[in-house]
Amino acid sequence: MTSLVTARNVSKRFGDVHAVDNVSFEIEKGKIMGLFGPNGAGKTTLLKAVLGLTDCEGQLSVLGLDPFKQRKELIQNICFIADVAVLPRWIKVTQLLDFMEATHPNFSRQRAEELLSHTKVRSDAKVRELSKGMVTQLHLSIIMAIDAKLLILDEPTLGLDIIFRKEFYANLLNDYFDGERTILITTHQVEEIENLMTDIMFINDGKIILDSSMEALPEIYIELMTAGESADKARQLGPLHERDVFGKKVMTFEGVDRERLAGLGDAHTPSVADLFVAKVKGAAA
Amino acid sequence: MISNQIALVRRELWEHRSLYVTPAVVALVMTLMLLTGYIFASGYEELVDIGIVGAQNIMGDGHRRMALGAFLIGNTVVFILASGVLTVFYCLDALYAERKDKSILFWRSLPVTDAETIISKLLTALLVIPLITFGVVVIAHLVNLVLTSIFVSIEGGSPAFMIWQSAPLLDVWATVLIVMLALPIWLSPFAGWFLFVSAWTKRSPLLTAFLPLVIVPMLEYFILRTHFIGDAIDERFTQLPLFSVDPEVFFDEKALAARTDAINLLELVDLGKFLSSPGVWLGLVVCGLFAIAAIYVRRYRGES
Repeated sequence: MTSLVTARNVSKRFGDVHAVDNVSFEIEKGKIMGLFGPNGAGKTTLLKAVLGLTDCEGQLSVLGLDPFKQRKELIQNICFIADVAVLPRWIKVTQLLDFMEATHPNFSRQRAEELLSHTKVRSDAKVRELSKGMVTQLHLSIIMAIDAKLLILDEPTLGLDIIFRKEFYANLLNDYFDGERTILITTHQVEEIENLMTDIMFINDGKIILDSSMEALPEIYIELMTAGESADKARQLGPLHERDVFGKKVMTFEGVDRERLAGLGDAHTPSVADLFVAKVKGAAA
Repeated sequence: MISNQIALVRRELWEHRSLYVTPAVVALVMTLMLLTGYIFASGYEELVDIGIVGAQNIMGDGHRRMALGAFLIGNTVVFILASGVLTVFYCLDALYAERKDKSILFWRSLPVTDAETIISKLLTALLVIPLITFGVVVIAHLVNLVLTSIFVSIEGGSPAFMIWQSAPLLDVWATVLIVMLALPIWLSPFAGWFLFVSAWTKRSPLLTAFLPLVIVPMLEYFILRTHFIGDAIDERFTQLPLFSVDPEVFFDEKALAARTDAINLLELVDLGKFLSSPGVWLGLVVCGLFAIAAIYVRRYRGES
């Protein structure tokens, strides 16, 4: 496996604040990596460093390039959506395609037009005349028409209704992802991409607190629903996090043998959202 | 590199429609004023007739050339002033609007460097605006002369003889084009400064750009009792080193009225003087430094 992104001891400080604090990780080719973290955890700063939009300390290599110093070469082979609102409101769809065609060597106008033909976006419309969902469709069509090795999505579905969100991810999987490409995605709607991603990373206070493949998660993390005496016994095994659900205790364990928990209640693999809460709160406790 | 520049400059024209709307509006207003003037004048038929008889029979070709040249140049000055104001607003908006509407994130997601972007904005300010304005000026001149011809022929004169034979069009246009291209270069330090402010300021670029131009020379005077900065700013507006004659001597009314030969405007332009003037090159260096600062700010700010 070749790794597309390699970070070694990457840090980014704003004054005294460590937005990204000594972070190391790898993203391998063909993976869909989900990056999660609370607001202000350093997600966007980390993505910006990967995109070469901000400089940072430590070693960071993306597609074998230094993202900040070799941004132009890098950006030909990666594409990103930062937020739905960033397409300039004054531009016409045709102008956008013209500009992309002129400046992006890996952009296929034909492909973009084909993708747009499945939407309600008219080619003579200006971005300001489109609804928020249509702007995202337009942006996504443009991004998907770029033959890029790495796609980075930062909160791509923020503020969209559920139908658009479902469509967005369906398009992403069906039309874009082919096993050759690599996707790095952040979102607050964890459950929407739970079945999509192959790898997962949690970031909190600038530090990575979880970095795992989705396949490995059930082997490490177990959620136990229990009550009464069993709960007390389970608590002695040192759960990461504990919460109350309908009068029962739900505990999340890390690296505890499944068989030891089996007798103490109902054991299963936690959802990513619950695991996220457990890890973040567990780290804070 | 060049294809990117073409795409980037085209983008500026898409975004800032004022780049061609402004000169077009000026042309429209001036043409309407001229038309109104002629309609108004046609109420004073006797005076107009005397004027036309005089212009056709008594004036020499040199006088007619001069009168028409003055008419065309006077007309052009309005365009140059308007494009100056336009350039100021364009520069102040060029790197500010993209941050305000956050489209900078999209632009920076494309394989275009910050340097290429800022060069394209500088090119637009210093070259594209003057060229568009010049094109509109040529059209406006022709339209105005056609209107004048219609007026003259209604009043019984011969436009072919009075106007088209005497109008120094090529001389005026060549001179106007040179001035329109040289003036932005001479004033380029301001363009650089405005672009830098546009890339750097968090709010109200207009105020941020103009206050230092007033305050810094005042501070220099109060603290150091010198006025280098004030003089340097002043010089840019009064000392364009492009003409072989001293404008104050040349435009002396009596001397001008006494001339009977036609003035060839192009002969007054001294390109060698312009290109060998240290002030021109110094100005370009200052402009370049501000542009580099703007690139640096756009690149390193890393804001969303």
